[in-house]
Amino acid sequence: MFPDRPITPSTLSVKDLPWQIAWSKDKCTLCGRCTAVCPVHAIELGVFRKRVLNTSLDIAAPPSNAHHVYHGIRQKTDPAYACIGCAMCNLVCPNDAIMPMRADESDKLRYHINRGGSPRSRGGRRNVPGGLLDQIKFIRISMLTDPALDAGRHEFELRTLLGRVLPPEENIRFYKENGWMPPVREIYPLLIGGMSFGALSPNMWEGLQMGVAYLNEELGMPVRICTGEGGCPPRLLRSRFLKYTILQIASGYFGWDEIIHALPEMQEDPCAIEIKYGQGAKPGDGGLLMWHKVNNLIAAIRGVPAGVSLPSPPTHQTQYSIEESVAKMIQSMSMAWGFRVPVYPKISGTSTAMAVLNNLTRNPYAAGLAIDGEDGGTGAAYNVSMNHMGHPIATNIRDAYQTLVKVGKQNEIPLFAGGGVGKNGNLAANAAALIMLGASGVQVGKYIMQAAAGCLGSETDRCNICNIGLCPKGITSQDPRLYRRLDVDKVAERVVDAFLAFDTELKKIVAPLGRSTTLPIGMADALGISDYHASERLNIKYVV
Amino acid sequence: MNSKDYFAISGRENNDRIESRVLEEKIQAALALGYTRLKIDAYGQHGLGGRLWRAGEQPVHVEINGPVGQRVGAMGSPNTRIDVMGPASDDVGWLNAGAHIVVHGNAGNGVGNAMAQGKIYVTGNIGSRGMTMTKHNPRFDAPELWVLGSVGDYFGEFMAGGVAIICGHEAQNPKNVLGYRPLIGMVGGKVFFRGPHQGFSQTDAVLVPITDTDWQWLNAGLRAYLRHTRQHEFLYTLLSKREQWQCLRARTPQERVTKAKRAMNDFRKQVWEQTLGKGGLVGDLTQLDRSPIGLITHGDLRRYVPVWENYKYKAPCEATCPTGIPVQTRWRLVREGRVDEAVDMALAYTPFPATVCGYLCPHLCMQSCTKQTLFLPPVDVTRLGQASLAAKMPELPPLSGKRVAVIGGGPAGLSVAWQLRLKGHEAVVYDTAKTLGGKIAAAIPNSRIPKEVFDTEIDRIGQVIPHVHLQQHLNQADIHQLVEDFDFVVIAAGAQKPRLLPIPGKERMIAASEFLAEAKAGTATVGRQVVIIGAGNVGCDVATEAARLGAEDILLLDVQAPASFGKEREEAEKAGARFRWPVFTQAVTPEGVQLDTGEIIAADSVFVSIGDAPDLAFLPDDVAVERGFIKVDDHYQTSNRKIFAIGDAVRPGLLTDAIGAGRQAGQTIDDVIGGKRPTADPRTIIDVQRVHLEYFDPRIVRYENLDHCGSQCASCGQCRDCGICVAACPESAISRQELSEGRFEYVVSSDRCIGCGFCAGACPCGVWNLIENAPMG
Repeated sequence: MFPDRPITPSTLSVKDLPWQIAWSKDKCTLCGRCTAVCPVHAIELGVFRKRVLNTSLDIAAPPSNAHHVYHGIRQKTDPAYACIGCAMCNLVCPNDAIMPMRADESDKLRYHINRGGSPRSRGGRRNVPGGLLDQIKFIRISMLTDPALDAGRHEFELRTLLGRVLPPEENIRFYKENGWMPPVREIYPLLIGGMSFGALSPNMWEGLQMGVAYLNEELGMPVRICTGEGGCPPRLLRSRFLKYTILQIASGYFGWDEIIHALPEMQEDPCAIEIKYGQGAKPGDGGLLMWHKVNNLIAAIRGVPAGVSLPSPPTHQTQYSIEESVAKMIQSMSMAWGFRVPVYPKISGTSTAMAVLNNLTRNPYAAGLAIDGEDGGTGAAYNVSMNHMGHPIATNIRDAYQTLVKVGKQNEIPLFAGGGVGKNGNLAANAAALIMLGASGVQVGKYIMQAAAGCLGSETDRCNICNIGLCPKGITSQDPRLYRRLDVDKVAERVVDAFLAFDTELKKIVAPLGRSTTLPIGMADALGISDYHASERLNIKYVV
Repeated sequence: MNSKDYFAISGRENNDRIESRVLEEKIQAALALGYTRLKIDAYGQHGLGGRLWRAGEQPVHVEINGPVGQRVGAMGSPNTRIDVMGPASDDVGWLNAGAHIVVHGNAGNGVGNAMAQGKIYVTGNIGSRGMTMTKHNPRFDAPELWVLGSVGDYFGEFMAGGVAIICGHEAQNPKNVLGYRPLIGMVGGKVFFRGPHQGFSQTDAVLVPITDTDWQWLNAGLRAYLRHTRQHEFLYTLLSKREQWQCLRARTPQERVTKAKRAMNDFRKQVWEQTLGKGGLVGDLTQLDRSPIGLITHGDLRRYVPVWENYKYKAPCEATCPTGIPVQTRWRLVREGRVDEAVDMALAYTPFPATVCGYLCPHLCMQSCTKQTLFLPPVDVTRLGQASLAAKMPELPPLSGKRVAVIGGGPAGLSVAWQLRLKGHEAVVYDTAKTLGGKIAAAIPNSRIPKEVFDTEIDRIGQVIPHVHLQQHLNQADIHQLVEDFDFVVIAAGAQKPRLLPIPGKERMIAASEFLAEAKAGTATVGRQVVIIGAGNVGCDVATEAARLGAEDILLLDVQAPASFGKEREEAEKAGARFRWPVFTQAVTPEGVQLDTGEIIAADSVFVSIGDAPDLAFLPDDVAVERGFIKVDDHYQTSNRKIFAIGDAVRPGLLTDAIGAGRQAGQTIDDVIGGKRPTADPRTIIDVQRVHLEYFDPRIVRYENLDHCGSQCASCGQCRDCGICVAACPESAISRQELSEGRFEYVVSSDRCIGCGFCAGACPCGVWNLIENAPMG
C-alpha cells in the first residue's frame, strides 16, 4: 500500500483477512512454486526494505544507516486476491516454508466481498461445521444374532429398491389392466448424487463414472450415479454403462435433445430419471454455468454453442405447481423409455416436502422421492443461500417416512436422502442413521469429491472456489491446465475404495441388527441420541 | 477287574432320560472306579466322552450307542478314544484337546469347532461350520478331521491350524464337497479334498500342489482312518487317482493380499475404452490430451506466463505531461551516459524546453512522479529542461510543399508550427504582437523566466520557422483568404480579451493581462494598496509584479478557495500578498472595493484577474463556437475540416497544455496530409503498483546532479537493463538478448519458465507482467 494514498473503506490488512500466509524467510528457497501454484494469486514475490543501523557511542565512529532489500513471499491484501486457505503453496513448497493460517478472530473480509453491489457467491457447502447426523448412535447391538453375522467375513447383499413397489394386489391389477407394473431397480443404497458435466471437470466426471462401472462390473456392487443437469456424453448414452446412470433433468434442460437423439441407439435403459426441482445447497435458487466455462466440450455435451452463459432458472419455466409439474414430467419421462425406467423427483429439504410426498403417494408412476438437505454442496451459489437456507435432512426424511407409515405406504415409495451425508467423514454412520430414520438410500456428492479427488474445501470456508473455474485440484475446472492434475484412473480407484470401505462400515452397523440382505429402513428403534429434543422430534430413543 | 471288560452305562433310568449332568457323574464315577472301557447307551445327553483325564496315562475307550446329544468328546483328553456308533449331533469334538473321536455316520454342524489336538473321524457327511476356529499348538500334534463324504457351508471359518481331509465319497452335494464359502478367515492349517468345489476364500486360502511327502502322509492317514472306521473297501477308490486330490492351505500373512482386483488402468483399457472407444467418455468430442500433469508446469501448460512489456505503458511523468515528453526515457539516456541525447530529444516535443520545462511549467510530471507514492522526492526535470537551452537542433527534412497558416505566435502557435516544420511542412505564423512568444513574452514576469533563456529559444524557433508575419490584425475576410491559400489553417490566437466584472465601477478595474504586459514593458505603475480580484495564478503574477513595482499592501480576493498553486503562489506569498475568500465584490469605488456585506476594502489600484476570453471576431462563420471558445474535436479539428484550433482559444490552460495541443494538432495535420486517420498514442499509463520503489533508499531527500537524478528515476515501464529478473528467476528461464543498434530485450524460455511471476515481482520498473496463458480447449 502506498503511504501517500488515502485508505478506502475496503482497505484491509493481512490481519483482516480470513487466511494469513505464514512465510519463513529462513526456510524459503525462492523457488517460485508457491506463487506459480496459487489459484487466486494471493501471493507474489515481494521486495522488502531492510534498514540496518550501525551505531556506536564512539565519537570516532559516527552512527550510520544502510538500506538493503530482500525478496520474499508477500500476501496481497486486495480483497479480490484474498488467500482462500487452500494450502497448495504448502503442498508444493520443498522446504515447508509457507502455510496459510486461519485468522485468530472473525475476519473483516466478509464485509467487503460485496463490492459493486454483488453479494458473495461461491462454491462449496454450508459454512457450519458439525451436524445432527453425527450425534445419532446405533444403540441396538444384538450379542449373538442368528445366523451369526460378521461384517468383515460374511456375505452381505445390502441392496435397496428404487422404484414404485405397489401392494401385490394392486400390482396384479395393474398388470392385468395395463400389462404394466412399475419398474423397480435393485441398487446399492449409496448413490453418487447429481453433479453435472460442466460443474465437474471432464477428468473428474469420467473418473466417477469409471469407478462406478468398475464397482458394478468387477466387484458386483450395483452402484448408481446421477448425471446432474448438463447432459450426458453421447458415448455413455450409447453404452451399456448407461444402466449405472441416473439421468437428471432440471430447469435448464441442457443436453436433453442429445439424449432424445440417442434414444433409438441406446443399448440399455438408464437406471432412472431424476427430475430436479431443488438442491439442498441452494434451495430456491438456480444455477449458472458462466460463459468462460462453456468450452467446446461442455458445449457439445449440453448441445449449445460454446462461450455463452448457461442459466438454469430456479424453477421449471412452464410449470406452475409442483403437483402439475410432477405429474407431467413423470409421465413424459416415463413415456420416453416406454415406462421401463423409474422416474422420481428430487427436491431440496423443505417444510413443504410432505405436500410433495402426499401428491406422489397418489401417483402410481412416481418411483420415489429424493430430498436434499441443507448441508449439500454446490459448484456455485450465493453465500446466503448456502449458509442460511434449507431444511435439515434428518427431520425432513423422518417426517416423510412417518407420513408414509401413516398412510401405509412406507414400503412403496422409496425416499432418498442427501445433503451433508458424510460431512465430517462419517459416511456410513450418517447414511445408516438416515436409512434407519426412513431413507431407502442416500446420495452423496461432497464426500465423494473429497474422498475421490482430494477436494480441499471445508465447512469452515477453506478454498470453496468451485464457482470460478480455478479449482486447485482440477475437480470443478474446465481448464486442462487444472483438470489434468486429476488422474482419471486414480479418481476411479478412490471411488472404489470409498464404496468398499463404506460397505464394510455399513455392514459393521447393520450386522448387530441381524441384517445382511435387507436394509433396516425406518428401523428407528435402533437409534439413540443424547439430545432430548432431537430424540422427541425424530421419535428415536433418548440415551445418555 | 478286567480292563478289557466294558462297563455299561445307560442314559436311561426306568425308561426315562437322565440328565446330562447325572450321566456325566456316572461316567466320571466309573472312571474313578478304574473302568477304562465304557459302553454308553446314550439318550440324547450332551458332552459325552469328554474330560476323561481322571484315567491319567491309561487309554480310555468310550463306545456310544443310541442317540447322542451335542458336543461329543468336547474338551476330550489325549487318552480318550470315542466311537459313536451312529450319527452324531452338533459340535463333535468341541474344544478337543486330544481325544480321538470316531463318528460312524454323519455328523451335524460345528464338527471340531475350536479343537486344538486329537482326531475326528466321520464316516459320512458333516454339517455347516465344521473345522472352524481350529488351532495348532506347537507343543502337540496338529488336530485332524477326516470326513468320508462332504462338508457343509462355511467350512473352516477362522481355521488357525490342523488338517482336514474331505474324501468326497458319496458327497451330500456331489457338485461341491467344500460347501458354500469355505475357509473364510483361515489363517493356518491345510485341507485335503477330493471332488469339485465352488470356490473358497481366495484372500485366506490358496490351492497348492500335493507333494510326495503330503501324498505319503495322506496314504498312511487314509489307511488308518479307513481301518478304524472299517471302511477298507473304499481304499482303492480313494487312493487310486492321486490327481483327484487337491490341497488348500492358509495363506501366510505375507501372501495375504486383498482380493486380486483388476488394476484400474487395465479396466480403463480393457473394459472402459473397449466399450466407449479410444479416449474414453469424451474421446469423440475432444482431441485434447487429458493425461495427468503435475502442479508445476512448463510451456503451454503454465497457467500464467510472464511478458516483458517494455515501453508498453507510459510512465506517470510522460502520461501527465500535456506536451507528452517521455521524461523517463530522457533519464534512461542520462543513466546510459547519453546526456546529450537526453537533452536534444526535448526539441522533438517542444520548442520551449528550457523556458517551459526549465522554468515556467508547474511540472505535472514531477507531481505525478511514482516516487512520490513513497514520499521519495520526484526526479528533478528542471535540470534537464534548463540544460535543453543548448540542445542541438534536429536536422530539418526537406519541405513537402504543404503549407499551413498559423494564427498566433504564442506557445500553441509556435508549437504547431515547429512540429509541422519538423515533419517537413511549411508553417507561416501570423501574430498581432510585435514579437513572438505570446503570453510568455507579454505577460509572464521576468522574475520567473530569465530573458536570455527565452530570447535564445525564440531565436532557435526563428531558425526553424522563417515565415513570420507580426503585427497582423486579421479579419474574417483575411482568414477566408488564408483558408483558400493554405492547405490548413491553425487558430492559436489565445485568449486576449480580459473578462471583467459587470458591476458598478468596473471601469476602475485594470485587467491583469494589460498590467502584466505594461509591467514587463516597464510602463506600469501601482498604488500602495492593491486589491486583486481573482486569486488564481495570474492574480499571483499581478501581486508579485505589483510588489516589485512598490505596492505595500496586496490583497487577493476570490469567491472560493484560490486555485493558484506552485511557483506563482509561492512568489506572491513571498511578496507579502494576502488571500481572502469567499468574498463577493459589489462595486469598485474611488475608495476601493465594496463587498456585498457593505464592507469597503481600501485600494489605490484594483486589478481583475478572473480569466481571459478569446477574441473571435475574425472567425469564419462555419467554425463552431461553444461558450465563447472555439469548439474542436479530440484532434483539435474545428467544424471546418481545414481549420484547427489550439491553445487558450479552445480552452484556458497551462503553457504546456498549449504546447501539447500544438504538437497533437501538428501530428493530426501530418496524418491527414499523409492520408492516414489521425493516430492517437495507444499507450495508457502504467499501474504504478507494478513499480517497486523498495530498491530506492528512502533517506535520499535531494538529487545532486543529472547523473544522480538518472540513477534515482524509477524508470516506470521502461527496462533499466538491471538484470534483476535474470537473477530472480528460479528456473533460469530469462535471458538478455542483444538486438541491432545497441537495443536489447529480455526473453523467456517457455520450456524453463514455471509462471511464478518472480520476474514481475522483482522488476524495479514494472516492465515484467504475468498474464493468463492463452485459453486451452
